[in-house]
Amino acid sequence: MSVTLMKTPAETAFACAFDAQGPLASVRKSAFQQFAETGLPHWRMEDWKWTDLRQIISKALPPAAGTHAGAKVIDAIVAAAPFAGVANGRLVFVDGQYDAGRSALPAGVEFATLADAGSDRLVAGSTDPIAALNLAFMSDGAVLTFKAGSNIDAPIELMFVTTGAAAASYATRNVIVLEEGASATVIETHIGGEGEYLHNAVTQIHVGENARLDRVKVQEEGLDGIHLSNAEVHLAASAHFKDFTLTMGGRATRQQGFLTFEGEGTESHVSGAYLLTGKQHCDTRLVIDHAVPHCTSRELFKCVMDEAARGVFQGKAIVRRDAQKTDGNQSSHALLLSDEAEFDAKPELEIYADDVVCGHGATSGDLDENHLFYLKARGIPEQTAKSMLIAAFAAEAFDDVESDAIREVLTGLAEGWLDRRKGA
Amino acid sequence: MLEIRNLHVKLEEEGKQIIKGLDLTINAGEVHAIMGPNGSGKSTLSYVLAGRPGYEVADGSISYKGEDLLEMEADERAAAGVFLAFQYPIEIPGVATMQFLKVALNSQRKARGEGELSTPDFMRLVREKADKLNVTQDMLKRPVNVGFSGGEKKRAEILQMAVLEPSLCVLDETDSGLDIDALRVVADGVNALRSPDRAMLVITHYQRLLDYIVPDKVHVMSAGKIVKSGGKELALELEKEGYAAYAA
Ligand SMILES: Nc1ncnc2c1ncn2[C@@H]1O[C@H](COP(=O)(O)OP(=O)(O)O)[C@@H](O)[C@H]1O
Ligand SMILES: [Mg+2]
Repeated sequence: MSVTLMKTPAETAFACAFDAQGPLASVRKSAFQQFAETGLPHWRMEDWKWTDLRQIISKALPPAAGTHAGAKVIDAIVAAAPFAGVANGRLVFVDGQYDAGRSALPAGVEFATLADAGSDRLVAGSTDPIAALNLAFMSDGAVLTFKAGSNIDAPIELMFVTTGAAAASYATRNVIVLEEGASATVIETHIGGEGEYLHNAVTQIHVGENARLDRVKVQEEGLDGIHLSNAEVHLAASAHFKDFTLTMGGRATRQQGFLTFEGEGTESHVSGAYLLTGKQHCDTRLVIDHAVPHCTSRELFKCVMDEAARGVFQGKAIVRRDAQKTDGNQSSHALLLSDEAEFDAKPELEIYADDVVCGHGATSGDLDENHLFYLKARGIPEQTAKSMLIAAFAAEAFDDVESDAIREVLTGLAEGWLDRRKGA
Repeated sequence: MLEIRNLHVKLEEEGKQIIKGLDLTINAGEVHAIMGPNGSGKSTLSYVLAGRPGYEVADGSISYKGEDLLEMEADERAAAGVFLAFQYPIEIPGVATMQFLKVALNSQRKARGEGELSTPDFMRLVREKADKLNVTQDMLKRPVNVGFSGGEKKRAEILQMAVLEPSLCVLDETDSGLDIDALRVVADGVNALRSPDRAMLVITHYQRLLDYIVPDKVHVMSAGKIVKSGGKELALELEKEGYAAYAA
């Protein structure tokens, strides 16, 4: 094992903590080896230019599972979670471990915790160092199976609470399987307390033939929290997949989506919004792999950065040689509310087929003076007018969310963010 | 109601002089028309009244209801009753028309120390006014001015004016882009708002509008100044002889 590259305190802590014993030992061992080859991704690596994890994870955050926080602290965090009235069932994980007492699920969904599910569901195929780190240390997560033809319309929520009670890192991993013709909505909520911590979250998704999954992720990690996440998505023929992510929390966020079309006639919409302030950092990287013909992909990100916040969007679409009639379009738009705020976009197209329609676009700017004047000229005070325009900007990405109830929650979260901004 | 004295305005960035010594007094209950060739500064005057940034008042004064208008922010002017119907109404994607109107009305009411209108009362008010102006429910469901035709935008401006009930209505080329039927609808909407406590400044390039909105006074503006004033017959004269005599 090459550990020569592991030299930051954080890397050293991972190396010291790694223990290839217990269940899934061989899977964990090869994953850790893979991670050790690169160590924490850093700025000299092509895809990590804007997000240097060696800098960001500056001190040792040893892997842990299970919480030191008291019930009251956890209850307070859970009570502040946004989807209380909307979710039809909820699985709660606290500091990387399943919390059965706070969880309940409706009938018809097959559920096991990762700890119980065994190895057959774990696909270790990703070459990403963060996914490898997750596999090496994963403690728990949800393995959900939606049976063929089942239709669970009310949203199921996976809630990840990281209390910040210990300066530690937590690795969770979910597997979501929709069998043929199944239909479901899954919300992933990430919320955190005060204190420095790292949450590394992986979700593997398999959407079967003619199946439909709406996934909504809301990230409200604590403001000293670091959020790393990977979604690995496999789409079978005629599947529908919608994914929306709202990022408001965390000191630093790197979220990645790897999506592969594996059957024809499939459609995916991946969208997201950032509402960032202070020195928050969020970098989204998507890789959309059109491996087969006749698939449609759309990506839309609306990113709002205030104060000295920094946003990054890196979207790559690969259209393989056989993937004729691919229809792909990607765009990212940034709204910079201060001179110090920054945004970088890196769209990439790698096209090997000739009969395809693909495009991308990226814009970045501040609020439109003409819009602002029009609102003020009708008697709307400046701060209110600005909030309306910022909300309108972000809401374009919310429009991709199917459920009215979920969209209302998202709108409420954005309003809360804007009110705090106005009050500041 | 409105007293403009020796107004000089230049563009903040380029320093270019646009309004060069303009005087105008409008009393409550009066309707004044300003006519003039393109580029004479009519829209600039309307923007300076509404408080648009980018213009510098180099000299002169504007008093509105006895207060210094130039000291007020755009939203304060609106709350005090100044309304500009834009020559080119602005499209605002993502902001729903009804929400926009409601926030505007309630912000103005709040600034004046009045209570907010409830949602049902507000809906009723807008529906009633919208019907009269042929503004459809579908238009009200769209974002502000987005996807509206030229004529729809102008009708929407007048709807906003009818809902907000301002004291000083400035209409900048509200007639441009309207066919004769739409012109009639808009003019009826404007005339319905004529009242002894309200003043209007109607800016137009063509005399046609003034057949429907009959002014008390007509002014000719050229090269940033009012060069001639008269009664409504002045508009007819201009129509016959054109602006050649007043070219900048
Ligand atoms: N923001 C601006 N930037 C550059 N030129 C302007 C601007 N606003 C007005 N002008 C110029 O000022 C003059 C008067 O314009 P405007 O007030 O629109 O005239 P009108 O409405 O009478 O046609 C024109 O020459 C126009 O080009
Ligand atoms: Mg004009």
